[in-house]
Amino acid sequence: MEGFLTTVEMTFLGLAGGFALGILSALGDVYGTKLMKVVIAGYVEFFRGSPLIVQLLFFYFSIPALTGLNWDAFTAGAVTLMLNSGAYQKGYFKGAIEAVFKDQLMAAKSLGMTFRQTLRYVVLPQALRIVIPPWTNEYISLGLSTSALIVLGIRELTNISKSIAAQTFRPLEVYLFASAIYFIWITVSMKIFDWIYEKVKIPGLEVNI
Amino acid sequence: MFTLENFLFLLQGVPNTLAISFLSFALGFALGIPTAIVKQFSPYGLGYVADAYISIMRGIPVLVIMLLFHFGMAGIIPMFKSAFLSATFALGLRSGAFQSQIFRGAINSVGRQQMMAATSLGMNRWQAFRYVILPQAFIVALPGLGSEIALLIKDSSYAFVLGVLELTKYSDIVRKATRSFLYPYLIAAILYILITFPVANYLDRLGSRLKTKYGLR
Repeated sequence: MEGFLTTVEMTFLGLAGGFALGILSALGDVYGTKLMKVVIAGYVEFFRGSPLIVQLLFFYFSIPALTGLNWDAFTAGAVTLMLNSGAYQKGYFKGAIEAVFKDQLMAAKSLGMTFRQTLRYVVLPQALRIVIPPWTNEYISLGLSTSALIVLGIRELTNISKSIAAQTFRPLEVYLFASAIYFIWITVSMKIFDWIYEKVKIPGLEVNI
Repeated sequence: MFTLENFLFLLQGVPNTLAISFLSFALGFALGIPTAIVKQFSPYGLGYVADAYISIMRGIPVLVIMLLFHFGMAGIIPMFKSAFLSATFALGLRSGAFQSQIFRGAINSVGRQQMMAATSLGMNRWQAFRYVILPQAFIVALPGLGSEIALLIKDSSYAFVLGVLELTKYSDIVRKATRSFLYPYLIAAILYILITFPVANYLDRLGSRLKTKYGLR
């Protein structure tokens, strides 16, 4: 159970960090300069194109060797999850921001709103609602990906199950139990996000990304 | 130091990575189409079986399935004594669930009118599905299948945890042997990108080309 808490903790750390990175890079990609777009495309391609496990190993072993920065497995894992999730969330946010029609930007401008005001009061309130369903998928896939943290030896649910299975010689029951925990967690959170989406959605504004 | 020799050694991991990904893709394909059909038409009320299969595969990390197969079920099913086969089957089972979703989306995008048109021409429902709906759905599904292959290539790295000698495992061996901390993983990451990108991109373009050719939207 202690492992489950670590799993949830890592998921939320990764999601929160990825949320900030995702919004910023989506805004940069939609409204930014050429250079920003190139940098963001490179960032996204690296994190979406390579496996999470390789990224984790890279951040845990290579970054300290490269920069002299010394960090423990937990920090390295959390930072990697944030960067990884940010790359995926960027795509969803970009889709949602672009789903807010260009006419609205012009309308806001003609009302004398500054760019920041437009973003804050016109674009983001709509985009954040539209993004909930794809964002739920990212939550699920990140939650399940935290099992990759086993390669850094972080004591999350999968790793704990592996040690218990080794101690008790009952791998079948232990892994089935772990599967059940993951399954219940994911199913319950999906229901919660669906409920939130229904609560906050603006009638008539359903866009498929 | 990281040398050319190390790089060539690292490349030996690529065949296994490709083998795991493509075998599991094939397995997923073989499972995905029947699952999509069962979910779509729910013969004998079996739709809920497909539902359960999809949501279970969606709710459990593929690594836990691998561990369950390899360590938990090797005694019951001898095939799972092999780490390679456990990893491939775990990925394939999950891919079947994911691919069935892709196919279902594609089948639905073809539209009911075509089904009605085909049945009014005297085809039975199965013929209409087999000769009218499925060929079109398959084209629509191509880009989705491309990203599914890319996902499998990346997730084949989970087999590393079972000790399968694939690309990630090789880069870990090189890191330990050479004490070169930067290059093994960086090069492995670049190799993964180089493998996934063309495959996904090709299917994506093939999909849009065929769509234009056959006038699908």
